[in-house]
Parts: sequence; C-alpha cells; structure tokens
Amino acid sequence: MDVKEIIARAREENRRKLLEHEVYAICAHFGLPVPKHGLATNEDEAVEIANKVGYPVVLKIVSPDIAHKSDVGGVILNLTSDKDVREAYRKIMENVKARAPNARIAGILVQEMVPYGLEVIVGGTRDPTFGPVIMFGLGGIFVEVLKDVSFRIAPIKSIDAEEMIREIRAYRILEGYRGEPPRDLEAVKDIIVKTSKLMLELEDVQDIDLNPVMLYEKGRGAKIADARIILR
Amino acid sequence: MADLTKLFYPNAIAVVGASRQPGKIGYTIVKNLKEFGFQGRIYPVNPNANEILGLKCYPSVSSIPEPVDVVVVSVPAQKVLDVIDDAGKAGAKFAVVIASGFKEVGNVELEEELVRRAHKYGMRVLGPNIFGYVYTPSKINATFGPRDVIPGNVAFISQSGALGIALMGMTILEGIGISAIISIGNKSDLDDADFLEFFAEDPNTSVVLIYMEGAKDGKRFIEAAAKTTLKKPVIAIKAGRTEVGARAAASHTGSLAGNVAIYEAAFKQAGVLMARSVEEAFDWVKALSWNPLPEGENLVVITNGGGAGVQTTDTLADNGIYLKEPPKYLVEEVKKFVPPFASLANPIDITGMAPVDWYYKAVYAALKDPEVHSIIVLYCHTAITHPVDVAKAIIDAVKDAGVRKPMTVSLIGGKEAYEGIQLLTKERIPAYPTPERAASAMAAIYKYLKARKYVEERLKS
Repeated sequence: MDVKEIIARAREENRRKLLEHEVYAICAHFGLPVPKHGLATNEDEAVEIANKVGYPVVLKIVSPDIAHKSDVGGVILNLTSDKDVREAYRKIMENVKARAPNARIAGILVQEMVPYGLEVIVGGTRDPTFGPVIMFGLGGIFVEVLKDVSFRIAPIKSIDAEEMIREIRAYRILEGYRGEPPRDLEAVKDIIVKTSKLMLELEDVQDIDLNPVMLYEKGRGAKIADARIILR
Repeated sequence: MADLTKLFYPNAIAVVGASRQPGKIGYTIVKNLKEFGFQGRIYPVNPNANEILGLKCYPSVSSIPEPVDVVVVSVPAQKVLDVIDDAGKAGAKFAVVIASGFKEVGNVELEEELVRRAHKYGMRVLGPNIFGYVYTPSKINATFGPRDVIPGNVAFISQSGALGIALMGMTILEGIGISAIISIGNKSDLDDADFLEFFAEDPNTSVVLIYMEGAKDGKRFIEAAAKTTLKKPVIAIKAGRTEVGARAAASHTGSLAGNVAIYEAAFKQAGVLMARSVEEAFDWVKALSWNPLPEGENLVVITNGGGAGVQTTDTLADNGIYLKEPPKYLVEEVKKFVPPFASLANPIDITGMAPVDWYYKAVYAALKDPEVHSIIVLYCHTAITHPVDVAKAIIDAVKDAGVRKPMTVSLIGGKEAYEGIQLLTKERIPAYPTPERAASAMAAIYKYLKARKYVEERLKS
C-alpha cells in the first residue's frame, strides 16, 4: 500500500488514528524494522498469512472504532498451529461482536510473535515552533513513571541520535549491566534517524509512537512490537 | 540575512514622540541618546516643540533635512501607522517601535499592518512593545533605561521589557560591559535569529545573552544560534522552565514532549548554554566574557579551607568535571612555602594559616605552569588576612605572571569579602561570594567548549 494512499483513505474516512497494518506499511516504507504481518479478512487468509510469517503468531482485531483491543478480547497471543489460528480468528470475531457490536472491522492482523528483548520507545511529535521533535527512552516504568526520555529536534543527525541514547539516566542498562548483554545501539540509532526522516517527509503525521521496540543484543538488531500514528 | 548595519551604525536617528517633559519616555530616550554621546545627528520629532534638550525639533520625519537611518517611534499605538508612513516616505531604514498595545494585548491586526506598511517602504521593524536598544561601539543608547551602561563585549537580547530594563541596570552594578542591548519585544519583524546573525559576526561582541520567552521560528533560531556558537558563547535564560501541567496528547511522545523538554533539546543542538536563573546567567557571562578559553582540561583549585574546596569539587562534579592530580611544577613551587601538613592534591589546600603572600605565590605559580589550564581560587575570610589584600595579591599575580588563563575566584565572608570581590571585578577577574558560584561559572566555560564541539560535529555531518 502506498503511503499517500493510506493517509488519503484515513482522511476520507475521517480517521486520525491509523490502523495497525497501515502504520506498519508506512514504517516499512521508511526502512523501520516492522514485524512480519498481514491483514486477514477470513479464516483461510489468516492461516495462509500465519504460514507465511511463521509460527508462533499473534492475532489482533483491526478496527477504527476500538481503541483498546485487549479490553474487547481482540488480541490472542502465541498461536502455534493452523488449528489455533482458525479458533482464535473465530473467537476474536465473537468477542468483538459481543462487546463492540457497532465497531467497523477492517480485518484481523496476523503478526509474528516478536521475541522478547529490552523494551525501548522511539517517538515523534510535531511542535508548532520547532517542527518535528523526536524522543527516545527505555520502555515500561522508565518512560511511564520516571519520564527518563531524551529529545532532539529533527533533522536528527547521527551525533544527535548518539547523544539522545547516552543522555538518558538508564544508559548503563543499554551498555550491559549485571549479566544483561550490551544492546544493539546502532539499531536504535538507525530507528531514531529514520523516525526523524518519516516525520520530516510526512507532514500529515502529528505523532508517532514506536512502543515498544524490542532491542536485542549487540549485532542482533531491533524489532518494533507495536506502533501508532496519529494524523494532524 | 537581514542587513542591520544601519541600525547599529546610523548617521542619523529621529525620535518621534520626543518630549520636553522629564520623566516621559520620549524625553528620556532623547536624553540618553545625547548624553551617552551618539556622534551622529539626533532629530527629536514633535510638532509642538521648537527644541528639546538643546536639539532642534521637527514636526515630522519627512521635514528633517537629511535622510535618517533609524526612527525611534514613541507614540501611542494608534498613531504608529501614520509615523511609519511618514518615516517610510522619508526613506528611513529601521523603525524602533517602543509603543505597546499590539499583539501582547490581542491587537494582532494592528501589528501585522505595522509590518506590512514598514516593508512596503523597505523598512525593518524592531518591536513593538520594547524599551529600545543600545550599541556601545556607536555610542547609541536609544532606551528609556539607565543611561550609563558600561561599554564592553556582551550583547544582551531581552524579550521581557520590565525585566530587561531592570537587568540593564544590574549589568552596571555587576560591572558587566555591554556591546549591545536589544529589547526585542513582540518580534513582529526582526527576531532573535536576525540579531544572532549580526552578533555572530560582530567583532565588538564576544558573548551573547538571551532572555527568551519563546522563539518565533524554531528552526531558524537553532540555525542562527548554532552558527553563533561556533564563534562565541550564547547563554540563554528560558522563561517558563517548569512544566505546568502535562499536555493532553493522543500519544506518549506528544504528552511527554513539553515545552521545556523541547527548548532544552533545541538549545543543545544549537550549543546554547541554558542558565537556570538570572544570577547564574550573569555569573556565566562574567566568566566567559572576561576570560580566554582554556587550552586543556587541567583545572586547579587553590583554597585556604577544606570546606570551600569540597563545595567546589561537588559543584564541578555535578557539571561533569572531575579534578585531576595537580601538575608537578606547581606542587613543587607550593611545597616551598606551605607547612608540611598541607594537602597538595587537587584542591591544593594552602591551609588556614596562609598569609596573603602565599596566595600571590600559588596563583603566580599556577599561571606560570604550562600544564595548568584553568584556575579556581577560593578564600575563606580568616583572622590573619583581609580579603581586599587577598584580592590585590591575586590581581598582582595575574599582572606579574603576564599570562591570562581562565580563572574564577570566590572570596567567602562578610562585607570585607564583598569589597575584595568589587576590586577583582574592576580588573575583570570574575569573583563570587560562594564557592559553588565560582565553580559553576568555571564549569560554564568547559560546557561551552563541549557545546561548540557538538555543534561543529553536527554541522559537519
């Protein structure tokens, strides 16, 4: 799907929050490491996609009217067989029909289970004075409670990304701490710089959250596990 | 890039709204211009007066017999547009609009019309809602603030009017020499970036201080400030440093990216040193405008008391500066006169029994030792010495050594210590009443070097 088309369709349908598969398509366009995935509109398609991305997979409801997917029983994790996928597909449809009967359904996203890593967050927002601003931090309590994050104004140059990473108080965790391995900082740097490019090129985007990004050992890269984009 | 040459080097300045009545803004501006010694022509404009402060008055700008470069507009807001037309037709290049009653009170249209009109005549606008401007190399004081600012090398841009004018007075009290003061007000036309571009190239300015409420164009500000940082330090006090209430936003990033965080990021990328308070900003301005830059990282602290040394070491560490072993030559020199129990690590503790003479010798040796790159001198007022004598000893050591290295001093004590600080200030040796302030000011010098390096690398990539 073309990036401009995605945004145009969202505008047409009066949606500010993009759907998950749309977000992934945009991220992939900018070279960001999105998980393997596909949008299924029936059981057979779901199985086909699951085989393509490889087990285990997760199924998630895709709807412009559902903000919290888990609350309506719209997410089932760790599916390991075709049979599981068929059952999960039906279950999610039933759950949503019962708990959000009026929600428009775009389909069900079949996505590879992203292996666990150190959770980091990379985000972007648009400031009226400075334009796109990019954020980096560790996920979970580091961002929620301690607000241990760093910012730079786009365009983010390589040195800015390095400083952003080094600036957070939890930097030592990234370097490797008490048996935890050093993390792939080059991969984070790359994500930060590409997020900056995305924000600069897509003026329609108000906010982007890549949260969490699973960050692996040095040399093993990173993968986005969840993402959202809000249009202006 | 705006060409501000004629604003800073005008042949003639007109003051519209000039008044004969002491206490009026239109009187004080003419008086300051005249008495501060502007060498070009000053033309008061007032249709009801023949003469103000011995200067011939004109009924309008267009009736002045020569073209004027700068028109200071000190009339009520509703009369400003007429003055702009008159000045524009007469060929003026800059309108310095003192009047308030524009955007700051919601009068957006009048302000936009002001700029449109001025631009129609090729005129640029400083203000409105300002207290004027100063440029000491041209002996211009076109403000209604204090008259006798001290000529020097610090350019001060203030977005706040009342605080700006108060700080203008404070520079005199603090002995800070000024190249320029720009009251930038509503920034309807010329903004921080325009002035930064000028001060970056201005040989009369070596440090820029900004009191900023908000940038007009963030990207342009970063660009101009970064270019300035490459040549000289930019220090900023940002109004509104705390986040009052989180922003409502649909994303994590949006809710965390408060105004403060964004300005901090922008300042970092531009190499701007962010001061937390007026006091801190002035402390840093002194350290950066009166000192050369250090040639290396070897900072030596000389003290006569352990406590002052610890306060300094802690403050330096807060700023990422960790003291190294003092160089050998210096240690050998100091050993010659201090008692054997003196601690000659860094801080070098010349002990509480140190007479004035030891200060002279220690500072002299530190200046002469090529491995010492910068010096903090601490003095706690003791029964056996007078702070003024210690100040004199430090001044003599600097003069006799014939080398300037970055140095900050703290004389800690009562009234006598304050007198000593005054003496050092007169010699442009930055001196402070507490060790923390001397340390923070020294740290600012090293912060500048780091900031400049960041900007250099950033602009290269």
